[in-house]
Amino acid sequence: MLSLVAFQRDFAAALRAATVAEPAALTIHRNTGARAAIDALAANYPVVLALFGEEPFAACAQAYLQVSPPCEPRLSHVGAGFAMFLRSYPPVQDILWIADVAALERLWLESLFSADAAILDGAALLQQGVNDETRLVLHPATRFAPFASPAVSIWHAHASEDPNALEMIEWRPETALVTRPGQAVEIDAVGPGGLAFLKAVAAGQPLVGAGAAAFDADPEVDLQTLFARLMESGAFTPTLSDRSPS
Amino acid sequence: MTLTAGLGFKLEHLDAVLAARNPGLWFEVHSENYMMDGGPRLAALEAVRREHPVSLHGVGLSLASVTPPDPDHVARLARLAERIEPCAVSDHLAWTRSGGVEHGDFLPFPRSRSALACVVDNIQRVQDVLRRPLLVENPSTYIDLPGHAFDEATFLAEMVQRSGCELLLDVNNAFVSAHNLGGDAQAYLDALPAAAIREIHLAGHSPDPDGATGLLIDTHDAPIVDAVWQLYARLIDRIGARPTLIERDDHIPPFEQLMVERNRAAALLAYDSARAELVDA
Repeated sequence: MLSLVAFQRDFAAALRAATVAEPAALTIHRNTGARAAIDALAANYPVVLALFGEEPFAACAQAYLQVSPPCEPRLSHVGAGFAMFLRSYPPVQDILWIADVAALERLWLESLFSADAAILDGAALLQQGVNDETRLVLHPATRFAPFASPAVSIWHAHASEDPNALEMIEWRPETALVTRPGQAVEIDAVGPGGLAFLKAVAAGQPLVGAGAAAFDADPEVDLQTLFARLMESGAFTPTLSDRSPS
Repeated sequence: MTLTAGLGFKLEHLDAVLAARNPGLWFEVHSENYMMDGGPRLAALEAVRREHPVSLHGVGLSLASVTPPDPDHVARLARLAERIEPCAVSDHLAWTRSGGVEHGDFLPFPRSRSALACVVDNIQRVQDVLRRPLLVENPSTYIDLPGHAFDEATFLAEMVQRSGCELLLDVNNAFVSAHNLGGDAQAYLDALPAAAIREIHLAGHSPDPDGATGLLIDTHDAPIVDAVWQLYARLIDRIGARPTLIERDDHIPPFEQLMVERNRAAALLAYDSARAELVDA
């Protein structure tokens, strides 16, 4: 009798490589597992699915899952490396921006499942007074990433009802800001000043330093408007020291 | 309140679920879908929990694996259980993982003595962290493997006795396995230890799309068939009322339609409870 170790090793190997005369049960288990993984990938990347169309997406998903099979039972984690895979997937070599859209969808999911925390109220912060040592803290659900493509606009065009939305996109790099100010995740684009500001905050620099970094990156930046927009998006959470007692 | 018949909770049914007031109604979720730090999905489950009992039904412990359950996964399950205070925590008698890969289905194994020892050890590791008995579900089987030392009912009974776990009896799985392997579902159900059965699952199945195989697949994508309802009625008659879940994971109909199946199970349970009271009186 085979040991359980050998049995599971051989069964797993048989699942990987279909043969003509294999038992029907093996085909059923293989198909069920493959279907679950492809469905999970499609659920996690709805805009990439829409950009591909169903059949090309299924082919792409199969190719991806062949090299990166699910390694964790949470379906929301299927496709963690999908964006990187797409960068070297031959059928999209001329439309590499699709990898940016995948990366953006990953940030959206990460934001959705992040820890709950209070949102920093910008007006209250200013009222309380800001000094050289004041530091902002990113909310646990905040993500940002610079893209060489207008990935944010492409993402929004797919969410919009307007059939011409895609054609109206101006082709330029965009930095995505992903936040969760309430029960829904929001995606916005910020300019080079915004990116520099967020990077400085993430690196633990004081607010004044973040402002200076934004100005260095984009001398045209309107810091007041940028600050107001970031506050409105719920990008920050109060630090322990400035959290009002309640 | 005594739990009667429940439903798998689907996010799209949230409003109807929160408003439902049927006596004994409860809900079940796949634990893995709620293993996250925060956000609206977890908030929805917490809202459901404020109105109804909730059970956590996992697919990721891989209890029949030769390697112990992933401690990180068990810790996430424990955190979720702490948060939700579920009426039950369950998973499957199967392996789903090997060599760091999730196979995405409940895989069979020879019910050998070493497999029994392995399953019992895995269950105990989880129970030690959860500090409560785990409910373990009987599988749907598509192949008659060589190398069994126990028939399935005996294996389950031994597993219960040695590990202290309890049983989640899926009547549809018993029906599908009996069909696929040429067994007798009624005899199988009759052989299971009544006291260990703490929850029942009812679900639909579908024929293998490759019609030549003649196999049934446990797809949870269709209404429960009459033969499964018959097995269920006889089971309840033998063991008494148990919390019963209508499982539906694909081609999900509106909430009201699922409640029709749920109410059918609830009516059977109420009938049995009324009969039991007469017998006890």
